[in-house]
Amino acid sequence: MLEKTGVATEQDLARVTPSKERRAKGPVAVIECFQRIPCNPCQTACKTGAIKEFKDINDTPEIDHDACTGCGLCVSSCPGLSIVVVDETYSEEEALVKIPYEFLPLPEAGSFVTGLDREGKPVCRAKVVKVLNTKSMDRTPVVSLAVPKDMSMTVRFIKLNDYFSDNTIVCRCEELTMGELRELIRKGYNTVDEIKRISRAGMGPCQGRTCRQLIMQEIAAATGTKMADLTVSTYRPPVKPVKLGTIAGGEHGE
Amino acid sequence: MRTTEIAIIGGGPAGLRAAISAASMGAKVTIIERNENLGGQLVKQTHMFFGSQKQYASTRGIDIAEILLKDLDKYKDRIEIMTNATVLSIFEDGVISIEQDDKYLKIKPQSVIVTTGASEKFLAFPNNDLPGIYGAGAVQTLMNVHGVAPGRSVVMVGAGNIGLIVSYQLMQAGIEVKAILDASPRIGGYLVHASKIRRMGIPILTSHTVKYAHGTDKLQKVTICQLDEKFQQIPGTERDIETDVLCISVGLSPLTELLWQAGCNMKYIPELGGHVPVRDKDLQTSIKGVYVAGDVAGVEEASSAMVEGRLAGLCAAKALGHATADFEELHNDCIEQLNSLRSGHVGEKIRKGLEQVAM
Repeated sequence: MLEKTGVATEQDLARVTPSKERRAKGPVAVIECFQRIPCNPCQTACKTGAIKEFKDINDTPEIDHDACTGCGLCVSSCPGLSIVVVDETYSEEEALVKIPYEFLPLPEAGSFVTGLDREGKPVCRAKVVKVLNTKSMDRTPVVSLAVPKDMSMTVRFIKLNDYFSDNTIVCRCEELTMGELRELIRKGYNTVDEIKRISRAGMGPCQGRTCRQLIMQEIAAATGTKMADLTVSTYRPPVKPVKLGTIAGGEHGE
Repeated sequence: MRTTEIAIIGGGPAGLRAAISAASMGAKVTIIERNENLGGQLVKQTHMFFGSQKQYASTRGIDIAEILLKDLDKYKDRIEIMTNATVLSIFEDGVISIEQDDKYLKIKPQSVIVTTGASEKFLAFPNNDLPGIYGAGAVQTLMNVHGVAPGRSVVMVGAGNIGLIVSYQLMQAGIEVKAILDASPRIGGYLVHASKIRRMGIPILTSHTVKYAHGTDKLQKVTICQLDEKFQQIPGTERDIETDVLCISVGLSPLTELLWQAGCNMKYIPELGGHVPVRDKDLQTSIKGVYVAGDVAGVEEASSAMVEGRLAGLCAAKALGHATADFEELHNDCIEQLNSLRSGHVGEKIRKGLEQVAM
């Protein structure tokens, strides 16, 4: 139980979780504040009136999820950092979770981090979509994370390590990371050529000598295909980058 | 001999707020602060405070200190500030003696507001004098005032608000917190603080204590063990954690030496942290002209310390004849704020303690 472990139980969470229907409509604040303590900045910060006026400063916040626009002003105003915004309309497969994050270095937008649950256990990979750190947020930046949709009510913190190797570079020439590669494979790009066309992997100075093998391995692993059965990329000249002028100049001595 | 209308002993949140409110009523005030700078513990608090807007909720402690200093500056013609000045005694005739920069001096104020705060409690276990074993306040001073990491990894003893907050600050400073122990079966601090630590993967071990510290010339590891419901160690539950810092945060005791010297009627109230003075609704003790505010009157949060300071300042100034038309209104506002801060479940202990010292 929460008082003993510091981790909210399913019953605790059931009281504060917006309905599935509401979550399906767009961003909404989830306030995981369960103890009566003298504190009300979330209510003061709320501009839409969704967080109802406190009768007693010790009241736990009561929020009308239908009135909440998910603006997130309450997130960085909460001294207990107990509020997140969840947006399950972000994409077909992913939800956006906006968490307060008071640590340096801040993650970079576009990078992959490890999503942690309420006990700090790694549960999934999360892509940093945006890092908002305005003056009015007063040093409590808000990090927007894209996570698998079923993780929207689970991911509550991040670790900037490369638990899933998502930030590992696969294509050094074109700077394709493993996370980006995996995202492409998930979207259905599952031949080396398709991935080359969408990401430019293999089109740099080394012409795929570093990444080709790695991309094939990842496709094989992700799709459960044997390496031998994968479609091999098409090899076209030149085998190394050449200045256009070199070719345009014609054959030497011609 | 130097004189002043109101001497305020201690320039922390309660003392500064007392000085501002007394000076705003027209009183001449002298703040006597032992440290080089004003602000007390506020200057170490990098987290956002709780409460409502009136108590600077959602503002960081360190910024609240700045706000108070700016307010203080508005009355600088009436406020004298002595820093590096430690009050050594309060005598029966109301004279207070002070050591400032190795010099001894005396002041005869008409009233005193004692806002000396509290000191940290310690624990007795073998080898508790090894370097690397700190109080949480010392860790905060090292880290947040001087920018010095106390070590590489920390085991925290105490899951009250201070233990939880300092653990979070240690993590922010890039220091590994290996575990937080608490002898009690329940987390004493705010649960939002606890949850924020847990989601970083730090275990909070309730019903646990430190049994033994190991190391030759500095701390190398600690043996922890589990406690039963009567707080007795359970044999066979010992385990070792390697760490170079053990941080002890097991509560505060009011710093009341001066009140004892002044002859105030004192009572032992465990809910308020130890011996505290009996006081009336204006925060005046059993000795006329001696007021108290903040942790010295009972260990609470800084938010209530500031409101108490404001109340004591108002009442001490009024008693010296500095009345303003809105005194009643301001007075009631303080009482209402205090009641509201103490009204919840968490304030139950405080309310129970205060009932026993009301005069």
